[in-house]
Amino acid sequence: MTAPFPSRAQEEWRYADLDALKPVWEQVAEPVTLTVAAGENLEEMWLPVADDVQLRRVQLALGQQASARIFALNAAPVYGRIELEVSLSAGAEFELFAANIGTGLSTNEIVTRVRHLQPDGRSLQVIRSVLGGKAAGSYLGKVEVARGAQQTDAEQSVKAMLLDRGATANCKPELEIYADDVKCAHGATVGELDPVQLFYAQSRGLPPEEARALLLEGFVMGLCEGASDGDAIRTAARDALRRVV
Amino acid sequence: MSEEFNALLTVDDLHATVAGKPILNGLSLHVPAGEVHAIMGPNGSGKSTLAYVLAGRPGYEVSEGGATFEGRDLLALEPHERAAAGLFLGFQYPVEIPGVSYLQFLRESLNAQRRARGEAELSGGEFIKLARGQAEALGMDIEMLKRPVNVGFSGGEKKRAEMVQMGIMQPKFAVLDETDSGLDIDALRIVGEGINRIMRAPDKGVLLITHYERLLEHVRPDRVHVLQAGRITRSGNIELARDLEREGYAELA
Amino acid sequence: MNEAVKNRELKEKIAQDYEWGFVSDVEQEFAPKGLSEDTVRFISGKKGEPEWMLDWRLKAFRAWLEMEEVSWAKLDIPDIDYQDAYYYAAPKAKPKLASLDELDPEIRRTYEKLGIPIEEQKVLANVEGARKVAVDAVFDSVSVATTFRKELKKAGVIFLSISEAIREYPELVRKYLGSVVPQRDNYFACLNSAVFSDGTFVYVPEGVRCPMELSTYFRINAENTGQFERTLIVADKGSYVSYLEGCTAPMRDENQLHAAVVEIFAHEDAEVKYSTVQNWYPGDKEGRGGIFNFVTKRALCSGDRSKVSWTQVETGSAITWKYPSCILKGEGSVGEFYSVALTNNRQQADTGTKMVHIGANTRSTIVSKGISAGRSNNTYRGLVRVLPRAENVRNFTQCDSLLLGDKCGAHTVPYIEVKNPTATIEHEATTSKISEDQLFYAMSRGLDAESAVALIVNGFAREVLKQLPMEFAVEAQKLLGISLEGSVG
Repeated sequence: MTAPFPSRAQEEWRYADLDALKPVWEQVAEPVTLTVAAGENLEEMWLPVADDVQLRRVQLALGQQASARIFALNAAPVYGRIELEVSLSAGAEFELFAANIGTGLSTNEIVTRVRHLQPDGRSLQVIRSVLGGKAAGSYLGKVEVARGAQQTDAEQSVKAMLLDRGATANCKPELEIYADDVKCAHGATVGELDPVQLFYAQSRGLPPEEARALLLEGFVMGLCEGASDGDAIRTAARDALRRVV
Repeated sequence: MSEEFNALLTVDDLHATVAGKPILNGLSLHVPAGEVHAIMGPNGSGKSTLAYVLAGRPGYEVSEGGATFEGRDLLALEPHERAAAGLFLGFQYPVEIPGVSYLQFLRESLNAQRRARGEAELSGGEFIKLARGQAEALGMDIEMLKRPVNVGFSGGEKKRAEMVQMGIMQPKFAVLDETDSGLDIDALRIVGEGINRIMRAPDKGVLLITHYERLLEHVRPDRVHVLQAGRITRSGNIELARDLEREGYAELA
Repeated sequence: MNEAVKNRELKEKIAQDYEWGFVSDVEQEFAPKGLSEDTVRFISGKKGEPEWMLDWRLKAFRAWLEMEEVSWAKLDIPDIDYQDAYYYAAPKAKPKLASLDELDPEIRRTYEKLGIPIEEQKVLANVEGARKVAVDAVFDSVSVATTFRKELKKAGVIFLSISEAIREYPELVRKYLGSVVPQRDNYFACLNSAVFSDGTFVYVPEGVRCPMELSTYFRINAENTGQFERTLIVADKGSYVSYLEGCTAPMRDENQLHAAVVEIFAHEDAEVKYSTVQNWYPGDKEGRGGIFNFVTKRALCSGDRSKVSWTQVETGSAITWKYPSCILKGEGSVGEFYSVALTNNRQQADTGTKMVHIGANTRSTIVSKGISAGRSNNTYRGLVRVLPRAENVRNFTQCDSLLLGDKCGAHTVPYIEVKNPTATIEHEATTSKISEDQLFYAMSRGLDAESAVALIVNGFAREVLKQLPMEFAVEAQKLLGISLEGSVG
């Protein structure tokens, strides 16, 4: 990687595990550019690999009326980072369903920058984090709506669940808006499993640990609905959760 | 005296509080095997509290008294242990669990119970067959059970789904908390038939908690108890229920 | 007709645009222009401060020389020449006043123009139900008069200018000054620590509910005078105080710097309500002139079950940079932040709050309403942080932005950092514009466009406005309407 090594002072790297990144920075590739031509669709499934440090950096350009949908699971044992920059032309649609799952001392972060450059674009980002041990899970998502990008519809839904004291959840859903006839909203919650749901599951016979595991799975699995090949990501998520719970 | 020895469920002078507030104030009751008992009472009398205490919901503290199930101390068991022992609570407000498929939820729950009882678990295929049968018997499309638990279900559909669960779990004792609320006439009939089909047996029992009398016309109780201010004030047969329906709870005071 | 009079008349004509934009012609005394250690000594000497206070200031000044100006906010700050300003301007020292009749008539007239109810009768007469408001009016760096002192004294409440407090209650001031906002906290707080000119000191003793609302009005008058107010409020165990801060300023061509520091220290079971209606000169339509408002406001909820509420309505300033914050240290302590920030023409605002949860069972509520018009930029920047030992924390945040027109910007930058699994944090943000339907409906009922917009904007801001004490709520509503002038059409 020829670019200078980042520092914590840079916003997009404020929660990063730079110590883990330093030794492998040379091998980190340049961001990959994906272009979706006007009217075309793209669906991507990003699953974790076995490496301790995993970086995925993508720049996605959507042409007019193009659409893209990405399912991503970020569960690196030491440091995982998904960096995604998306630009939308008129009428383009973008959806991201992503999860950070971590335990031990891992740091997993999803950093997005979605730019609505022209009118009528739609973007949806659904992020779920489940963190145990002393893991950290972060989402930094900037949505930019350019002047003139009217009728933009941008939504971010971010939820994080901490399982142990010492785990950390960071969310920064950012909006930078220069057009007025737009619908931009985001919600972020950090919390625990719903105790009534837990009781319901136990009252049907599930012991507490299994009830918790099932609910956590549901918390993350809701993301995978709509994936054309959901099994791969569901299995990967289940495996990652099993290591955490 | 011998009735109590045959009792499937016994509640003995139960006092319970919710968020520090006393709700049950000395409730006693015994349901022998093979019988259906109904509990009726005005809002706030403690009906749901009784159901939750029997099922072991956190936040509901027993300050005095106890309950036994098949002679065992029920209150000493965790919620999932009570389920494995054969207790089923039909919730008044069934909970939604987004992201968790109904079929997966029920299969895992049933198998957890079977494991606890030393019984063989059901395979995926065996379970679907069982679930399909129960769903059809209750007039519910199996497709609905592929959805996340109770998400997008109407009130009536949730209640019906509770009955499908009951059919799948085949409990020994069912505590049904206002199962009839939210049901139209047809659904009420189907649910009533379901309760009769699943739970009428010499070794099973049912405690129907209800506000209105109409379910009792479909599921005839052997005994009707009136719950007021946290204790049972009157007991009788179905005639008592009909009187209440006609005259209301105020008359009893 | 001499030059001075001609100039004044001309200025008053121009100032018609800005209702409060006028100049008072009162004898003033200036520290020499520029900022050096001598300036600090001059200020301390003029105020007759004890040695320890001068030392404290010098320590801050030396630290400031080594600090770097902040650049991370989304603001376009022109380079400020700190040497090209006067750091102290006070009316010539006058003997203590036994009654308001002895007040310099020019000053008195200034306040009457501003509509400040400095007379006791005015306050009582204007307010139905006789809610008493004690006013400590600050006129360009020195507190001029304080009313209602006697009644407060009876309750044991100390409400003085900070200069007087340093002289009369040195131990108290020394104990708490800098305990919530340390000198080195940030660039502007550091500058303030060195050259603060005046401000308010409040101390409410144990168990006392302050019998009236305390209020301070500010005004920047002299050319090139940076305004450095320092306020310190200490609420002892079980006490309650409500404090109002409202500011106006005259029209100027040079930007004026305002770098205030407000510290609140709340002991066990104490409650402090701090309300601000801020209307500093925002600059003209082209963005010239106007106040630079960089304020550090922080509350330390030190005692268990203490509570601090910040309520602000910000409509003025060319550039605003302020984050009233709460450190929730005591168990069960509560922090609240209610804000309406309106920017028009070329104003820039970067404002929000920081809620830091250290103690268990602490709660915070944040409601921020941003209204952008003209070519302005309005940013909410907030932080909710939960430390690992903070069990059972609850936070609720709602940030809403309203855009008027397509030439402005509305931005939201929330940071949520949670390190305890039992916390429940909820954050929601929405962005909208005034719908054509709403506007048409209001206008079809007889309102002209500007009135309709003002009505809808007030509705948007209602949840925050209703947190203000009554006197302020009315002024705030009017202010919102006035500040929107020129934004419609």
